[in-house]
Amino acid sequence: MSERKLHPAVAGAQPMYRAENDPDAPLFEGAYKQRFDDILTRYPDKRAAILPVLAMCQELRGWISSETIERVAELLDLTPAYVLSITSFYTMFRPQPVGKYLIQVCTSIGCDLCGAENVVEKLLAATGTRTGEISEDGLYTVIEVECLGACGFATVVQVNERVYESVKTETVTRLLEELR
Amino acid sequence: MADASSTQKVTIDGHEVMVPPGTTILDAAERVGVVLPRYCYHPGLSAPALCRMCLVEVEGAPKLLPSCVQQVQDDMVVHTTSADARKARRAVIEFLLVNHPLDCPICDAAGQCELQDYAFETGQLHTRVTDPKMVLGRDNVTPEIVYFGDRCILCTRCVRFMDEVAQEPVLQVVQRGHKGYIDTMTGDLFEHAFSMNIVDVCPVGALVNEDFLFKARAWDLDQAPSICPGCSQGCNISLGTKENQIRRAKPRPNMEVNSYWMCDEGRKTVVNWGSGDRLEVPMLKGDSLLPVDWQRALSALTEALRGEPGAARGVASAGASNEALYILRRLMEVAGFDGGYFAVPMAEEHVLAGFPKLALRSERVPNARGAELFGFERSDDPYAEVASHTGALFVLDDPLDGAPEGFGASAAIFVYLGTRLSPAARRADIVIPVTTFAEMEGTFTNFQGRVQRFAPALQPPGLARPLWMSGSATLERLGTGSAYRSAAETFAALAGDYEEFDGLTYESIGPGGSLIASARTQTARAG
Ligand code: SF4
Ligand code: SF4
Ligand code: FES
Ligand code: FES
Repeated sequence: MSERKLHPAVAGAQPMYRAENDPDAPLFEGAYKQRFDDILTRYPDKRAAILPVLAMCQELRGWISSETIERVAELLDLTPAYVLSITSFYTMFRPQPVGKYLIQVCTSIGCDLCGAENVVEKLLAATGTRTGEISEDGLYTVIEVECLGACGFATVVQVNERVYESVKTETVTRLLEELR
Repeated sequence: MADASSTQKVTIDGHEVMVPPGTTILDAAERVGVVLPRYCYHPGLSAPALCRMCLVEVEGAPKLLPSCVQQVQDDMVVHTTSADARKARRAVIEFLLVNHPLDCPICDAAGQCELQDYAFETGQLHTRVTDPKMVLGRDNVTPEIVYFGDRCILCTRCVRFMDEVAQEPVLQVVQRGHKGYIDTMTGDLFEHAFSMNIVDVCPVGALVNEDFLFKARAWDLDQAPSICPGCSQGCNISLGTKENQIRRAKPRPNMEVNSYWMCDEGRKTVVNWGSGDRLEVPMLKGDSLLPVDWQRALSALTEALRGEPGAARGVASAGASNEALYILRRLMEVAGFDGGYFAVPMAEEHVLAGFPKLALRSERVPNARGAELFGFERSDDPYAEVASHTGALFVLDDPLDGAPEGFGASAAIFVYLGTRLSPAARRADIVIPVTTFAEMEGTFTNFQGRVQRFAPALQPPGLARPLWMSGSATLERLGTGSAYRSAAETFAALAGDYEEFDGLTYESIGPGGSLIASARTQTARAG
């Protein structure tokens, strides 16, 4: 067990999960302006482009701040409240910066019935955080998410892009160790 | 009944009804008197069919259908209270109550809450939930509206009002599922001229007016149908009163005027209308102004008009009813009508984008059109027109706040008919207390030329009486008419004298209002 290698996906292959985002990176400039314009050409109206535009912002800055929300709203002719309704609906958009490992615990019905809540509690205790916070060592952030589509293997936990199945309170410590 | 090809037969709980194609089951049910429970559906908004409270059983359909969006088909047989339909509704209520605080004793909506009503109907004594309730708390969404998150059932009526009717989508559902709540962009308050309609559409006590919070229980309010006096739009409203005070105004639907809505300013205008010290007794000037009984007051007015004081000029308020303005005009005619004037306070206009027929009009008086019909002229400075008049001077319900020094001093006789006795009004020879729109029956003519009726909601203070009553009694004494017994009788007389009102009666005006003759031909031409 101990010589098991960390799965490469955990490191975050997709830009949205890159650890080295710069929270102050200028939005919609240079290459990113170009990408923004390209995104717009793929949709019938500006509003429809909201998801990829937000994903691009998060890729750049690591999370979606209210400043980002306001910028996006302005560029897409939407109200900030509307953009907030989108970013808060999808747990993939983060309302605050996260640690190197974003631990997403499914608390939808299947996992919940199999004790997801206890797994969350255990993870929070082990990382010394409250939901959404970054642990002191900068490594972990634990959040609750909706069904991850692997209900047969409850409780399901996704760390960055890797899915861990059948996580129990007893296996939480090992999971964190493996990431370290 | 329309011809068979354009109607469809539906049977709802055993009642047959013919409806045009495209009618929803919910609407069809209302025609046979079955009011289906609903949360997300509101007749003035789109129907997202998200609350599932209106599910009904349709024979032949594999599952229950949401009646708010499901259109009828010919020969459809609907059961609204079948065991399955009731069970589904019961489940919706049970879910809604999982996190609901049930703080009805301190909730503003208690007694007019659709959650209370339907939860009561399902009659579940016990909750099956053992988890503690989630707590969201409360927050302002506008400077005057508070959102109680825990009471919210996420029907999104408020969201859709701001999106579709106000067309400023500043309210949204934030988060999702059981964590969802309604918010503006975090921390922001929004302002909109029609924002308080979100309180009206909220089926529960989640959005409440701070102004009304903890002021009265819904069931303690008496309701009277009325017309907003705030501007020339003439929104149809319902006045909620308690202890002879107006506590709040809510819109009454009228598709020709205000749909289901009214503006925020109108609500405030109504609540404050006629507040403050009121003129409660008739008064006559001897050495000073002294209270008298009605007999003496009316005798004095009769004598004064008989004594040929010289032609009459006057200032009227365009907040007075058609009936009052008509009687004023007739009183003035006794002396010879030499001109009547009224001021129209103007302010910014706000059109309701999603129902542009409705605007908070820049003319912030309800009856300028009516005043014109009785021959009064609008004027930037009505006081100047009459200030140094030497004949009979009449003032109707204008507080004379901006009147020049010595106003009315040169008049042979100065008659003040009003609701408040301002210092300028104290110079009158005869003071007659009249009632506000809320204290009498009457009509206003709105900017479209629509004559609309309002009902009395309050007892007039002291001896104050509607002008049609005191005025027509005076006319009878003068031998130029008979004393009217009601506002309706006054209106009938008015309709006989003024062509624009020809053919209209209180009965024919009805609850929706009727257009005056010229407005009718105009709409006929346009239509
Ligand atoms: S605040 Fe009221 S109207 Fe708005 S979603 Fe909640 S319950 Fe519905
Ligand atoms: S629009 Fe005019 S009539 Fe309607 S509520 Fe507002 S002030 Fe009153
Ligand atoms: S319920 Fe957890 S993965 Fe579906
Ligand atoms: S009223 Fe029909 S689903 Fe809400």
